[in-house]
Amino acid sequence: MKKNKLVFSLVREQSSFMTAVMSVLTFLAVLAFGIVLSISTGIIRWNNQWEKFATIQVTTPDNIKTIQKIFDTNADKIASVREISKSEMESLMKPWISSGAKLNNYLPQMFEIQLKKSSDMTFMKNELSTQAKFLTHTSALKPTMNTGWKILGITLFVFALILVSIGVCVSYISRNIAMLHKHELEILNQVGANDKFIAHQMQLIVGKISATACLIGFLLSVPFLLMILGTAHSARVGLLATLSLSTSDWFALIILPILIVVFSVYITKKTTIKILSGK
Amino acid sequence: MENETVISFANVSTNYDNGRDILTDVSFNISSGSFYVLTGASGAGKTTLLRLIYQLHKPSKGQIKLFGQDCENLSRNDISTLHHKMAIVFQEYSLISHMTVFDNIALPLRVRGFSNDKIKKLVTKTLEWVGLGKYADVYPVELSGGQQQRVSVARAIIVQPSILLADEPTGNLDDENASRLMELFIQMNKIFGTTIILATHNKKLLETYKFPIITVENRHVSFAGKNTEESTETARKWKGPQPKSQNYFSEISQQFENIGNV
Repeated sequence: MKKNKLVFSLVREQSSFMTAVMSVLTFLAVLAFGIVLSISTGIIRWNNQWEKFATIQVTTPDNIKTIQKIFDTNADKIASVREISKSEMESLMKPWISSGAKLNNYLPQMFEIQLKKSSDMTFMKNELSTQAKFLTHTSALKPTMNTGWKILGITLFVFALILVSIGVCVSYISRNIAMLHKHELEILNQVGANDKFIAHQMQLIVGKISATACLIGFLLSVPFLLMILGTAHSARVGLLATLSLSTSDWFALIILPILIVVFSVYITKKTTIKILSGK
Repeated sequence: MENETVISFANVSTNYDNGRDILTDVSFNISSGSFYVLTGASGAGKTTLLRLIYQLHKPSKGQIKLFGQDCENLSRNDISTLHHKMAIVFQEYSLISHMTVFDNIALPLRVRGFSNDKIKKLVTKTLEWVGLGKYADVYPVELSGGQQQRVSVARAIIVQPSILLADEPTGNLDDENASRLMELFIQMNKIFGTTIILATHNKKLLETYKFPIITVENRHVSFAGKNTEESTETARKWKGPQPKSQNYFSEISQQFENIGNV
């Protein structure tokens, strides 16, 4: 026996259009959320990477011995001390040293230290800053960090906009279905269907559209996300190179389309009941 | 429930959105088990009266009571619960085109949360009763006007309503099909004691079936004739397909009782 329990039915053009719109929105949502997660991971990694590092710039050559003594005394706190060579400094300062030769004489002696624990940074700073300029890598790289946070903020904003768009879109879809099915709504009213039953019928149809759209959107967004991460990693250094998605991030990305379906079904119920009660 | 007032109007008035009156100061009581024919010119307000009874339309003045319950402040859920005891049939069938005959008839049962097994049993029996046993899997568009109207009636009677309202149900039917449909209504009234109000301006029907008449004229409602057992006895014999079992109606009635419906 053929059975069609759904009271509302959409012709192919209608459901294809709604599925396409929802797929695009899901695609954008997953992409934006993926970027949010990877930037967050990147910033955390970036922070962790540099919070044990500092650069010591010795401008008074007489202080070298005292500094060396401080290094020796606190050897248990220090993981490594590396003197930055003149050639490294030259290469770093190349854009500012045009002819190079004479300015080399003015280059300071510099050390890069890596501590065993980031909590020792303040102590070491207090010890060394009387003898030399002490600059933690975290504070040196603050502009990059700030840029990362700004990008994260912008992406979060875009992500929120996409979620709002999904809400509006689903609400519109429910309204559209209700308007297209006034005849069916009237019949349901006549046969004694309460608002809950009608909303449930609407939820079934929107749920089906959302589930299909979310699957399509998610599957489309994954290769794009991998492409973005691949491109970022090709930078090799800097914040971009640290962008990454952990297993839990991927899990969150899989959960997102499921949440969009649940959200769609919830919005559908609210919208339908609102329409039925004439609000 | 016999002879209890199931529909009561007290000074009911209603108007169009532009304020023009449709019905003014309408008062009447209708007892359980009655069969009335509602008549009047086109646009007189027959449909509005039925819609008022069915709570699809709110009066601008007056009080409507159904089953002794004042309908003034009913919520949407209260109205849908009230609809579980009532049914309405329209001239234009009101069938859902993408659902099969079976699913159209099953709809009121699904709304009430019946199990699939019970739905199948009841729909099959009702389809047999209305002579459409072979058409369960057919879509409404594949049926004739008379058959579609029978589907619409089957959907209304499957819940064994206490009140059945029919708005020009024979309007699109030829005499033969109109007669078959009338027989169905008469049987419902006799077997289940369903209160029926049937709107029509078909003179042939009014002459053949001597039911008491409610006339809507000049925004007022008047009653003529008595609603007696005798009047229903004058009905012509059913010419359509006969139910297989002689005790069919008591069988279907028993099924409803088993389900605990109504």
